[in-house]
Amino acid sequence: MSDTTSTIKRTTSRVKETPEQRARKQKIQLTAGIIVAALLVLLGFYIQTQNPRGAFIWMIGLALGYTLQRSRFCFTASMRDPVLTGSTELTKAVIIALALASLGYMALQMKLTGVDLKNLGTDALKDASKLPGHVRAVGVHTVIGGFIFGIGAVIAGGCASGTLMRMGEGFIQQWIAIIFFIAGSVIGMVLLPIVQVNPILYQAKPIYLPQLLGGWVPAIIVQFGLLFVLYVLADWYGKKKSGEL
Amino acid sequence: MDEKKKYPFHEKYFKKEWSYVTGSVLLAMLALALVIVTGGSWGVTGPLGMWGGKFLQLIGINADSWKAYNGSLAKYNFWTDQTAITDLGIVLGAFLSVLLATQFKIKKIKSMKNVWAAVLGGLLMGIGARLSLGCNIGAFFTALPAFSLHGWVFWISIFSGAAVGSQLLKKYFM
Repeated sequence: MSDTTSTIKRTTSRVKETPEQRARKQKIQLTAGIIVAALLVLLGFYIQTQNPRGAFIWMIGLALGYTLQRSRFCFTASMRDPVLTGSTELTKAVIIALALASLGYMALQMKLTGVDLKNLGTDALKDASKLPGHVRAVGVHTVIGGFIFGIGAVIAGGCASGTLMRMGEGFIQQWIAIIFFIAGSVIGMVLLPIVQVNPILYQAKPIYLPQLLGGWVPAIIVQFGLLFVLYVLADWYGKKKSGEL
Repeated sequence: MDEKKKYPFHEKYFKKEWSYVTGSVLLAMLALALVIVTGGSWGVTGPLGMWGGKFLQLIGINADSWKAYNGSLAKYNFWTDQTAITDLGIVLGAFLSVLLATQFKIKKIKSMKNVWAAVLGGLLMGIGARLSLGCNIGAFFTALPAFSLHGWVFWISIFSGAAVGSQLLKKYFM
């Protein structure tokens, strides 16, 4: 929204560009795009010399950036917009992404744990934190960290993936934000060991839903059931706010 | 309008925005492809602390002796760090996307408020991500679908943080 107002301001304060100028600008960008694409491929060859899986990881990274930009996917907006504008379109998209990813992780994890979780706790699979995906410590630190992170993401105008994506789009604000994101990370790394020794602030135990709920079946019902309920809720809220209901 | 008729192929395949749900499907598939091949799941913020530590070393502060790093900086290599590679890929993938769509533009800072927003927002995100052991990707998009409770808890927390952030944004940064 602020973007369109700034372009309006800019076009009135400056002489409007002619169609020829615009066509020329587009040709330059397309040519630059093709050159950049070639350079990115070359960089992929270099990364492969440094890392046996480097080129593949590089390709996935580029595809993630391309996808985030093309679909204007923004995790921050998915949590900010319901409050700020009442729109839940991105919230619903995030829920769909979560459900699809859940399906994949479920398959990957079930292959390792066994359908009845009997492999969990054996020598081959000591605990859930060894499974694909991040099964990590949950506790008060998660709440504090998430709350601080949420405030920061909305103020900075982008979360972690969003900041990186907007850097590529040419936002100077995000180039400033990343410097302080890095500085904040250093502060956070220094704080973490202090927090970790405090039993009130930090609980080291990860909680894995299939283990907590006593099996894969209840975990699947709870996981997908909750996501479904949230989707219905988001859809209803968005429609109510936009006056459709 | 006339450009649309002139370059319908470019318009359709490189300029037109994708739907959010297209994004959902592709992000989920890419994240899964990554973990299937490498065994390491998608994250974003992990390397930031390491880069900061490297910078401190560069200006003569031996952060590696701190408890937080404990010698890990000496061993750190950007190109063997999967998350560092995907982070760089996200920046340049997005850059390629806007170039091919012929929509690249340097978006300048409009006021000092934007600078303070970036400074404060960046610091808070960095601190928050380390305390909760991950960001909106590592502690959420790679955690909640992995049936870890901390992904759900992080979602609720980040949502409440975002609500407070929205109020601050309206009051002080807009």
